[in-house]
Amino acid sequence: MNDDYTPLGWSYNPSDWSQRLPIVGLSLIGFGIALYLALYQWRVFETVWEPFFGDGSRTVLNSGVSRILPIPDAALGALSYLADAVTGIIGKRERWRTMPWIVILFGLLVGPLGAASILLVILQPVMFDAWCTLCLASALISVLMIGPALDEMLASLQHVKREWKQGRSLWNVLWKG
Amino acid sequence: MWLRLINIALGVWLMAASAVLGYRGAARTNDVIVGALAASFAIIAVSEATRAARWVVFVLGLWLMVAGWVLGFEWSATLNSTVVGLLLASFAFVRGRVDARFGGGWSALWKSNENQVHGEKI
Repeated sequence: MNDDYTPLGWSYNPSDWSQRLPIVGLSLIGFGIALYLALYQWRVFETVWEPFFGDGSRTVLNSGVSRILPIPDAALGALSYLADAVTGIIGKRERWRTMPWIVILFGLLVGPLGAASILLVILQPVMFDAWCTLCLASALISVLMIGPALDEMLASLQHVKREWKQGRSLWNVLWKG
Repeated sequence: MWLRLINIALGVWLMAASAVLGYRGAARTNDVIVGALAASFAIIAVSEATRAARWVVFVLGLWLMVAGWVLGFEWSATLNSTVVGLLLASFAFVRGRVDARFGGGWSALWKSNENQVHGEKI
């Protein structure tokens, strides 16, 4: 693991495929779940799978909150997961220094998706007195992605700060590494 | 690792506790919110690079220890949240093993570095 691509002062390379592929895999599973729930919200599917909480999924997925935005909230979740997967897969094993902007974008996408998921989990029982199994599974996946994604963003931010401190323009470092 | 896993389980228990123990109202709302947050931040704290998330769990635990009295929970909910809060805060207080090195970690982003060209203290 200790090769030229390991960041200064690090014991491993956070841009290694062994670090990134599990996150990409999780985001693809999340994408599948969110897409399924969105298709139910669009009534492509007439029913939704709910093994534990009776009418819970139907109550949550048809609630007013889920339709605040022009597209159903699960569709927005599916798009977010897709963006996570794309920004997770782009770039080689040294991308933390060659393309900081994509790594930072990746971290910024994973973070808010997780935060939104936690918020939606809290809203289910508090506002609707209902739980939705697949919504909980999706939330768990987005929270699982946060820690593993943020170490790579830390390496990029440290790199950007180091280059900037040596007099380079922040703009150039962000885009060109 | 084990302490983080126990805290995740405690957060999940808190989300389910009102249904199991049969209490409602402010206690239920409080426990569902705090339980979801505690489980989430305990998950984030499993990763060594984001172990600092345990301090959020710690603060949530401290809140739970007094929440029953502040918000006036019934007896079973007060006992539950106080015990769970004590456990959450105690386990979150332990840093646990961190084997990996992260180039000075997050604090390197706002602290000045000795081996920099412009090394003046900020």
